[in-house]
Amino acid sequence: MHELGIACSILEAVRAESARRPGVRVRKVGVRIGEYSGVDTESLRFCFETLVKEDDLAPLALDLEYCPAGNGTRGDELDLSYLEIEEPETS
Amino acid sequence: MKRIALEGKVLGENDRIAAELRQAFLEHGILCLNFISSPGSGKTSLLERTLEGFAAGARVALLTGDIQTDNDARRLARFGFPVRQITTAGACHLDARMVERHLREWDLAKLDLLLIENVGNLVCPTSYDLGEAAKIVVLSVTEGEDKPLKYPGIFRKAELMILNKTDLLPYVPFDVQTARENARGINPRIEILELSCQTGAGLDGWRRWLQGRMETARQRVPA
Repeated sequence: MHELGIACSILEAVRAESARRPGVRVRKVGVRIGEYSGVDTESLRFCFETLVKEDDLAPLALDLEYCPAGNGTRGDELDLSYLEIEEPETS
Repeated sequence: MKRIALEGKVLGENDRIAAELRQAFLEHGILCLNFISSPGSGKTSLLERTLEGFAAGARVALLTGDIQTDNDARRLARFGFPVRQITTAGACHLDARMVERHLREWDLAKLDLLLIENVGNLVCPTSYDLGEAAKIVVLSVTEGEDKPLKYPGIFRKAELMILNKTDLLPYVPFDVQTARENARGINPRIEILELSCQTGAGLDGWRRWLQGRMETARQRVPA
């Protein structure tokens, strides 16, 4: 139920990262979702796609990385993982 | 295409505001508690019983979250302590920004205890730090003993589980021992209190827990 808010937070984070890198286009954002994070990944994907369509950041893909608990992880991850970016041509 | 690693939480902005709130609570010696449960487990009844135990003039305040209506705020205002309703208009949880906004009109120097009743929901509120000293999960005996297994997130993060409505135990097939084992299986450190807001049984233990934590908050104020 709170996936829409989380999708907004992901977009805000990408926007903040873009602002720090002038000229760079962000194409994909990776997010780690823990087993016990309480996030429904299908719903998050749907919310993200709906929001991003209307956003200057489009086209922007979302890559969700599922993290099971155990092996030193608590399983409550809701972390930013990576950005895939296109840099401006330098010549 | 180049890949760059990112550090940080998706809810980093919420966490940043929560950290500011936590610091403000620490400096003022305020104990802040975040009550989370399914709808109907008895959060508001527990808070009513809690307020009843304080003398007039005690430095207690409440924030109560609901999707709609200020019914809970009206129920809780009868006790004469400051109460503010946070109506989320659809959102299934409180976040740190809502708490921060609703606290602005209060003078923190005049508070010792801030009780926050989250929106009735065992899932979403778990992800949002409100700057509280502890999350308290309320479970009632009319629910399943397996709730800690079905909703492990909140039982993992809560310091205390309150098992409410124990007066109904003779009428429902709820096994207290199994519920305790399920909760401890998820979180071995979780404290558990059993009580009935209806009869008042077990409320002494809850009030002792609360007083102990308030004392700790007072002692931790930086010099």
